[in-house]
Amino acid sequence: MIITPKELHDRIDEFTVVDVRPETQRNEFPMDGLETIISKDGSTPNLEGKKVLVCQFGIVTEGMIIENDLDNTFSLLGGAQSWIEFQSENEDLSRWSRQTILPEIGMDGQKKLMNATVAVVGLGGLGCPVSQSLVTAGIGKLVLIDGDIVELSNLHRQPLHGPDDVGTKKVKSAEESLSKINSVTTIKIVDDYLDEQNGLDIIRNCDVVIDATDNIETRQLIDRFSKETNVPMVYGGLYRWEGQVAVLNMDGSPGYKELFLEPPSGGDTCADAGVLGMLPNIIGNIQALEAVKLIMGIESNLVGKLLIYDGMSHSTQIIQL
Amino acid sequence: MIKVTIKCFSQVKYALGTDELTLEFEMGKTTSQLEQLIREKAHGKLDGISLRVAINQKYIPNETELIDGDEVAFIPPVQGG
Repeated sequence: MIITPKELHDRIDEFTVVDVRPETQRNEFPMDGLETIISKDGSTPNLEGKKVLVCQFGIVTEGMIIENDLDNTFSLLGGAQSWIEFQSENEDLSRWSRQTILPEIGMDGQKKLMNATVAVVGLGGLGCPVSQSLVTAGIGKLVLIDGDIVELSNLHRQPLHGPDDVGTKKVKSAEESLSKINSVTTIKIVDDYLDEQNGLDIIRNCDVVIDATDNIETRQLIDRFSKETNVPMVYGGLYRWEGQVAVLNMDGSPGYKELFLEPPSGGDTCADAGVLGMLPNIIGNIQALEAVKLIMGIESNLVGKLLIYDGMSHSTQIIQL
Repeated sequence: MIKVTIKCFSQVKYALGTDELTLEFEMGKTTSQLEQLIREKAHGKLDGISLRVAINQKYIPNETELIDGDEVAFIPPVQGG
């Protein structure tokens, strides 16, 4: 069985990709945007689930599958070469020209963004604008985590979900909207809440984790996994007209545990306290901005600081942690 | 006497009905004493809500003596997202 690069890109979550090429070819022709397992001796690893084998031109792997009568195994049509061509065809870099001409970004910054993975925990008021802005800016891969469904009362502040999505899973609705903005970003969805069991594995493979949740318990969990994996956390929280943003756990900088006394108490949800849709969109975009700066290595950021924004007076305070 | 400005955020702002207060009192008052005063002014609306304290835009240990001209912020955790 064979699979094209586009089919693989669109169905990336279904497969484990195994690179059977020798080291010299792997180094000379890297396959950007693809997580692979290396087959050191060129043999097929014994893995559960569907696999895609990749050689340089797609001929060797096609032969391997036929000779060994391998089940659930696909050969990448045209091999690594066709994947690299597919990626470059999708990369019309003029799309990003208005941000790459910024002296702090340039093509180097854009490439960093396109090779980065960000986890967004929560696809509600904050998670929608964060994901939308990151995909619009050309992030390489987004991992969306939420077990919730779309409700009618979400729509006034969550622009990735529409009336037809009410009753469907937020991650599915968000994935569909985001794919229309930028089909090159790889989107992985986790149709579940972040918890003790799945959290560490999700966060450890990311460059940044965005806290876009609506409860303190999950914020504490993200904080713990962020510390353990050394993956920085961009915290965002809301109360009525006010929002907070901080970059936490960056190379040992303070985390959520240091930001608020443990165990923090109080703090109403948007459902209890009320919120106007623009506020989470402003705060979510500040979180996305901080994530982009972290990925690009721009040092003027909110590491070790808490930003408090008031949407009523438009005043901001930055507190040193 | 010393004069201190208090910045009120989130639930503190709603509990006190203002985003800023100026108070005068004798020297020697600490942040935890000021927090107690704020909680009394809130008439129970801040019960069960933990607060972090910053002086002049910097987090401090809770028990710090205030000096004239300090700007004190009481910051609660916010849950919404």
